Amino acid sequence: MEKDRRAAAFRQAAGALPPRLRALALALPEGEQGRAEELRLRAGRPMTVLLDGGERPLGEGPVEVEELERLLELASQSSVHAVLPQLRRGYLTMAGGHRIGLCGTAVLRAGELHALSPLSSADIRIARQVRGACTPVLDRLCPGGVLGDTLLLSPPGLGKTTLLRDLIRAVSEGEGCAPRRVALADERGEVAALYDGLPQLEVGRRTDVLEGCPKAAGLMLLLRAMNPQVLAADEITAPEDLEALSQAAGCGVTLLATAHGADRADLTRRPLYRRLLELGLFRYLVTIRRAGDGRQYEVEELR
Amino acid sequence: MVKLLGAALVAGGCAWLGFRRALELKDRVRALEQMAGGLALVERELALGAPPLPRLLEGAAGRCDGPAAELFAGCARALARPDREGFPALWRGQVARLEALGEEGREALGPLGEILGRYDCREQRAGLAAVRGRLEELSVLARADSRRRGRVYEALGLSGGAFLVVLLL
Repeated sequence: MEKDRRAAAFRQAAGALPPRLRALALALPEGEQGRAEELRLRAGRPMTVLLDGGERPLGEGPVEVEELERLLELASQSSVHAVLPQLRRGYLTMAGGHRIGLCGTAVLRAGELHALSPLSSADIRIARQVRGACTPVLDRLCPGGVLGDTLLLSPPGLGKTTLLRDLIRAVSEGEGCAPRRVALADERGEVAALYDGLPQLEVGRRTDVLEGCPKAAGLMLLLRAMNPQVLAADEITAPEDLEALSQAAGCGVTLLATAHGADRADLTRRPLYRRLLELGLFRYLVTIRRAGDGRQYEVEELR
Repeated sequence: MVKLLGAALVAGGCAWLGFRRALELKDRVRALEQMAGGLALVERELALGAPPLPRLLEGAAGRCDGPAAELFAGCARALARPDREGFPALWRGQVARLEALGEEGREALGPLGEILGRYDCREQRAGLAAVRGRLEELSVLARADSRRRGRVYEALGLSGGAFLVVLLL
């Protein structure tokens, strides 16, 4: 079932490819489609698939620059204007929540990225929801059935965002804890992956998503506008984010956020996160570590 | 009796031809105005936000008439096909079907396919305004043409019919 869902996600992502490349991608055996993580296109080189940790070429013909342009046209539904803010951050989200990262020659306006032209590379990352990712920690984060303020911590690539998304979903649905209204400040669109106003990844029925807005401003807006019980944000990176979280905590809202870092000691070494710990905004710290092929979660009480 | 009936049919037929031709000229004016109105609507929608093209065109199709509705709906449908061609080719294909606009009207609309969806909203609105301006010019010319030639066709239809009747009788 899970394999089928993954293969279907691969086929959906491959649907944005121009016809020749799409045929190559869809010629992969179904088992491999289900394990594929990314499709990578580089002008002048054959398309590759990231599979089992390695890149493997698909076909022999090189990717043409026109095919990269066509990929952008198909993935954006011929609506570059609708995805310009995303493109200026170097990616775009397509139906299904799949994310296409783009590279090329930058066109700058007033010192900021205005466009990429011509395109030189694209990386289609196949979106996969890991339902139940939060099961190993949910009980400990919800004493008495109610979620406590929680900070999720890990180095990049260990699944902070995946865990955050699944926690939001569980809390919003009331799975394993009392259901809560969740407001999500999804600045980079990585948690819910809104597309045409609809979350492409499951974040639960009681979740309101604000995408693309700077986190600090977004958190305050959500607090004022959506009357949340839980306020969630991915990756605290700036002092303004701390300020916004601090104000939200003062309003009695439960906080749920992530941060980059190896462990608690790593956090205390950096001024921003040291301040975060000093403020005592979070009750639980969940540290994610790699354990063989899987993940290990450590839950620590901070107050 | 048969003669009289034949004469009436000839007179009626000629008049119908003349009036029909005059009506075609009026229809062209209306089609150009409807198309310009449709483009104005799309311009306004792009001023409000940046909806994806399929949603923008589908929404506009429901609020326009005549060739504008036909063009927008056709493009929105075509955009939904997974094996579709690029938008510029798709747009040109749909524009080519709009006979009511006349050749000049179709020529004015064609280049919009290179602009819609490809640039930011401000540039798209500028492109739409330029094409709308050209269509409005064409509709003014077509209206003048319709007044002038329309009357001629009507008069020719009536008088030609009368002339034939006199000849036949």
